[in-house]
Amino acid sequence: MYAAITSATLMGTAGSRIVVEAHVGPGIPAFTVVGLPDEGCKESRDRVRAALLSSGLEWPNRRITVNLVGSGERRGGAGLDLAIAVGLLVATGQVPAESVSSCAFVAELGLDGSLRTTAGMAPLVAAVDECEVVVAEGAHDEAMLARPSRLRAVPTLGGLVAALRGDAPWPDIDVSPPSPVNDEIPDLSDVRGQPLARLALEVSAAGLHHMLMIGPPGAGKSMLARRLPGLLPRLTHDEAFEVAMIRSAAGMAHRAGLATSPPYRAPHHSISMVAMVGGGSSHIRPGEITLASHGVLFLDEMGEFSPGVLDALRQPLEERCVRIARAHSAVEMPANCLVVAATNPCPCGVAVRINCECAPAARQRYLRRLSGPLLDRFDVRVHLARPTTAELTGEAAAESSACVAERVARVHELSLRRQGCTNSAITGDMLDDVAPLADDAMASLRSRLDDGSLTGRGYHRVRRVARTLADLDGEHGLITRRWVDVALHLRARLDVGITPR
Amino acid sequence: MNATPGRSACAAALASLPLQTPLRLRRLLAMWSPEDAWNIVMHSRASVFGISDSVVAVWRGHDTSLVWRLEEQCRAAGVWVTVRGDPSYPAALTDDIDAPSVLFCIGRHEALDHRRVAVIGTRHATQAGRHFSQTLGRQLADNGVTVVSGLARGIDVEAHRGALDSTNEPHAVAVVAGGPDVVYPREHASIWKELPLRGLIVSELPPGAKPEPFRFPQRNRILAALSEVVVVVESRETGGSMTTVREAMKRDIAVMAVPGSPHVQSSAGTNGLLRDGCAPVTSAGDVLVALGFEHRMLTPFVDTRPEPTAAGRVVLAALGDTPRTIDEVALATGMPVVEVAVALGQLGSGGWVADSDGWWEALTR
Repeated sequence: MYAAITSATLMGTAGSRIVVEAHVGPGIPAFTVVGLPDEGCKESRDRVRAALLSSGLEWPNRRITVNLVGSGERRGGAGLDLAIAVGLLVATGQVPAESVSSCAFVAELGLDGSLRTTAGMAPLVAAVDECEVVVAEGAHDEAMLARPSRLRAVPTLGGLVAALRGDAPWPDIDVSPPSPVNDEIPDLSDVRGQPLARLALEVSAAGLHHMLMIGPPGAGKSMLARRLPGLLPRLTHDEAFEVAMIRSAAGMAHRAGLATSPPYRAPHHSISMVAMVGGGSSHIRPGEITLASHGVLFLDEMGEFSPGVLDALRQPLEERCVRIARAHSAVEMPANCLVVAATNPCPCGVAVRINCECAPAARQRYLRRLSGPLLDRFDVRVHLARPTTAELTGEAAAESSACVAERVARVHELSLRRQGCTNSAITGDMLDDVAPLADDAMASLRSRLDDGSLTGRGYHRVRRVARTLADLDGEHGLITRRWVDVALHLRARLDVGITPR
Repeated sequence: MNATPGRSACAAALASLPLQTPLRLRRLLAMWSPEDAWNIVMHSRASVFGISDSVVAVWRGHDTSLVWRLEEQCRAAGVWVTVRGDPSYPAALTDDIDAPSVLFCIGRHEALDHRRVAVIGTRHATQAGRHFSQTLGRQLADNGVTVVSGLARGIDVEAHRGALDSTNEPHAVAVVAGGPDVVYPREHASIWKELPLRGLIVSELPPGAKPEPFRFPQRNRILAALSEVVVVVESRETGGSMTTVREAMKRDIAVMAVPGSPHVQSSAGTNGLLRDGCAPVTSAGDVLVALGFEHRMLTPFVDTRPEPTAAGRVVLAALGDTPRTIDEVALATGMPVVEVAVALGQLGSGGWVADSDGWWEALTR
C-alpha cells in the first residue's frame, strides 16, 4: 500500500535529499504527483507507466498518489523517475520493502524500461552518499565522483527488480576511480614578444588580480587569455572535486572526471544575464561565472556584453559566490574565478592610437559602456598593441608556461602563508602590515594622489599589485619605488570620462 | 516707457536676430548706424536693400524687447560689445575683407595691444604636439606676444594653457565659435573661467549662442585676421586648421608649420604646408624672429625639468619622434620590460614623456 524511497533533487550546484512516498489504494484509477512537483516531474508519470509495462511488471489499476518530501519549494528533475517506479513496485508488493530500505535511487527511466543518466549525477549522489545508491549504467563514472558508500549501476528496470528480489545478482561494475581529465592548455612560449602583456599575465595569475586588456584587433588578447589557466597552480583535490560537481550539475557529463587544470570559460558576448550568473525558472542552473570557478572567465569584447550582464558580475566578483533568489527558492553557488576581459580602445579599433579617427565623444561613449564600478574591480589594466614584425620574428623562444607557473605558485604559497589569502584579496586595513611602502614609493604615490591622476580606490589597488610584483621578484619586505612605478604602468588610464586610474 | 537703446545694445540685438548672417549684418551696418538700423528693421514697414523681404518679415515678427533682454544678459555674463568703427574694435579687423560687424567679448581689451600669433592645430593631437604647443604658448607670452587660438581641444587649449602659465599678462586671446560665455567643450570649463581674467575671449555671436558646426570655419576667419603669424602645430591634411590657413593666406598673413614624423597622421597637414613652402617652426625663436624680434633680446626659455637618469636617456633616445609602446622600447633598448616601465615612470613624473592609451612619446622637441 505504502512505500518511502530515498532519492535526490538538484538545487543549483548542490543535491538535496528527497523522500518519494508512494501510496496505492482503492479508488478510481488515477496517478497524481503531489508535493510541489515541477513540470518535468509531472512528465514522470507517463515515463514510469511505460517503463513498468515494458519491463513486464504489473501496473496497478488503482488510485496512485506520489508525494515528494524534502526541502526547497519545487522538487523535480527526471532523476526522480526511478524512485517513483520503485515506490510503486514496493507499494504493490512486487519488490520487498526491506530490500530498498537502505537504498537511494537516482535515474531517469526510458519508455523501454532502461535506466538513463541525468544532469548533476555527482551532486545528486553526494546528497545521499550514505545510502546504497542505484544509478544508470552510463552514470557510473560521474556518480563515483561523489564517493558514495556503495554504488550500484544497473542497465534496466527489469534487472534492478530482479536484483532487489534476489532472483539475480547485481550486475558487475568495475570500480576504477575517476581518471583525471585535463584541458589542453596552449603554452605561453607561443607568444612572441609582448613583454608587457606577459608581465601583466604573470601578475594577474600570481595575485589573482582581475585583468583588463585594451587593444586593437590582432593584439593577441584572446591568445593571451587562453594561456592564463596554464599559469595558475593546478587544482587541489578539493577544488577539482568542486569543479567536477559544478560541471556535473551543469549537465556537462562528458567532462565528469576530476580535472586538475583550471577551467577556462569564454562566453560569447550575446550571453544573457541568467546564463552568466546562473538561474532559470524551474531548475536553477549554474552560470558561466560558476563554471569558471577556480579558473578563468574570459570576457572578449567586453563592451559588447549587455550592461546588465556586466553589472551582475560585480557582487559575485566581490563575494566569490553568487546567490540566486527566485520566488520559490534561493541557492548559493560558488563564483570564485579570475576575470580577464578584453576590449577595443575605441569603435574604429585602429592599430596605432594616434591615427584613430574616432571623435572624442564616440571614444568616451564606447568605453563608458563599461561601468566605472566594474572597471574598478580590474586591478591590472594594460594597453596592448599589435606585435611588430621585429617582435614576431625576433627572440628565439620565449619563456614557457611552466617557468612562469613555478614563480606564480611560489607567490601563491607565500601569500597564503603571510596573509591567508591571495594578494588581490588583501583588505585595506591589512595593507600597511602586508604591503608596507618604502618612503620614496609612498612619496611617488602621494604625488599622484595630489595631482588627481590616482584615486583613493586606485591607490589601494596599485599597492596590491605592487605587492605581487615585489613577491614575484622575491622581495618580501618593504615595497620599493620601482614596484610602485611598474604597478602604475599596469593600471592604464582609460580615456576621458571614466575613473582615472 | 523705455529709454532709447544705445549704440552697442542695438548692434548686439541686430546680431542676435534669427536668420542673421555676417553678410546681412554687414549690409545693415554699412547703410545705417546700429540705432537707425534697429529702428528701421523693427519699427518701420519699408523693405531693406539687399536683404530679402521674407527675412525682414521674420525679424519684424520678433519681440522688440530683445534689445533690453540682451543688454541685461551681456551685463550678467560680463560681456562687452564692440561695433566696427568703435575705438574698442580690434584695429586688425577694421579693414578686413570679411570683418565681423559686431564682436562680443569677455575679458581684457589690452590683450589685443601686443604682437599677436595664432597657435592652432588638431583636436586629435599627439602628446608631443600638445607639449610643443604649450611650451610655444608659454615662450611667446614670456616675450610679450599674445597667443591667439580657438580654445578647442588638443593644440588650441594647450597653447592657451602655456600662455596663461607665463607671468606676463594679458597675453591670450581666444576666438570661439559659440557665444563668448558658452563653454565648449565642457572639459574646458576651468580655463574658460580663467582666461578672461588674464586675457580676452572674442566671438561674433551673442551670449548663449550654441557653437554650431558651421560656425567653426566662420570663427577661423576672425582668428586668422586677428593674427600677424599663424603657427600650425599639428594638423591632418583635411583638418579645420586648414581653413584657418586658407583664411590667413587670403589676407597675406604668414603661415608657419611645425614639422612632424611622416608616420603620424596628425602631422600630415603640417608637413604638407612645409612642402608647399611655409616656414618651419622648431622653437619659439623661429616665430619671434619671423615677427621681427631681435633674437639676442629674447627672454631665454629655461627647461626646469629634472635631468633624466642614464636609463631615462636611453629610453628617450629609443622613443625618437613617433609614439611607441613599452614593448617596442623594450625591444629597441634590450632592457627588461620592468626596467623600461620604471624608467618611463620616472621620466613621466619629470615631464619628459607622456602616453595616450599605452603609446609613449618623448616630449623633447
